[in-house]
Amino acid sequence: MAITSVVAQAAVPDTTPAATGSGDLGAPLYIAWQVTNECNLACLHCIEESGPGKAFRDELSEEQIFAFLRQVVELEVPYLSFSGGEPTLHPLFFPMVEYVCARKAQLKIETNAHGLTAERCERLKRVGVKAVQVSLDGASRETFNRIRVRGDFDRATEGIRNLRAAGVPVEINYSPTLFNIHEIGRAVDLACELGADSFYSGRTMYTGNAVKTWHRLAPSEEQYEKFFAVLHAKSREYRGRMRVHFHEMGLLEELRYRLHHPAALLIVLPNGLVKLINALPFVCGDLRRQSLEAIWAHFQRAWQDPRVAQFVADLDADPTRTATLHQWVYL
Amino acid sequence: MKLAKYTKFREEKFGGVLFETRAEKVFSLNPTAAAIVRAIGSGCDEAALIERLQQRFADSAGALEGEVRTFIADLRSQGLLED
Repeated sequence: MAITSVVAQAAVPDTTPAATGSGDLGAPLYIAWQVTNECNLACLHCIEESGPGKAFRDELSEEQIFAFLRQVVELEVPYLSFSGGEPTLHPLFFPMVEYVCARKAQLKIETNAHGLTAERCERLKRVGVKAVQVSLDGASRETFNRIRVRGDFDRATEGIRNLRAAGVPVEINYSPTLFNIHEIGRAVDLACELGADSFYSGRTMYTGNAVKTWHRLAPSEEQYEKFFAVLHAKSREYRGRMRVHFHEMGLLEELRYRLHHPAALLIVLPNGLVKLINALPFVCGDLRRQSLEAIWAHFQRAWQDPRVAQFVADLDADPTRTATLHQWVYL
Repeated sequence: MKLAKYTKFREEKFGGVLFETRAEKVFSLNPTAAAIVRAIGSGCDEAALIERLQQRFADSAGALEGEVRTFIADLRSQGLLED
């Protein structure tokens, strides 16, 4: 092979894990693991219907957890996230974090930050987590506490400050609703003031708890237009200081794209079931009975199942079908 | 010279992938580029890397050194390498 091909390849535009086709890869690039469905909060818009007492009865055992993580390491999956529910509530949270980080996979924690004491943040820093993403759906106490039932704005921001004091990179996630969509500009400013490295947002999904509260939550298209206009402006304003990421694409548009370009990522549920993508009800494997390698091999074929394309087509006619995402369909 | 803190490399049948996990960017590499990144990962410095490639590839035009340096500079500019 001519050496010049190296230079040509280096000039190829980069892409993201979500945009990277999975077809030629020997393993996923990213695994998003919902480690538990238990949560200390009961947020109005939670897509997982998490909350106090909501842990699945069949969540992975200690033996199953570490068998799964061992496979993640063996397949050299470079990037993993722990979410929930609230992942820090899992009794094995730190042993799992330490296992992954000690083996050089990069790990992101997605949390409400309510339990992030200074001591726990210092431990996360010592272990070497890549980043902690905190849900902060409001720039004010009133807004945040209204959406995040049982949540407390001051505890969340204290957790963020503890992370920054310990030197842990922080990302902020913001779900827009009728309650908070007007605060988006201030929320981005607050994220930067708190020392965040990144700010993420997109459209709130009609599924999980949001189905029951949609009439009180859903912003209008006009409000979304203004929301994204502010995010475009903030993205320019904070360039070089904090990355502002957001997805304007609607769910249907994204799913149509995914039918032909499955992302190189797997969604793992607390009980070890593996979903094609969060926004579809389809399950393509079970880590309690199958290896990660076998599930990955099946993943591409599962996307070609006619039921998947049919579900997306039906969604076009009836967007409320996303309300059934937790009624799993096995492929 | 080494892969940056947030950069992960994995071999693939087509060559390899570099994944910059902080910005969440993925770079596909052909087999030659993957071989260079593998050598960097094993601690090879720029001069040794060029010497190794000159032994492996025909370089009658004498362009190899400049092209490898350009490639490495490109990796640096993308934040994928550090000293």
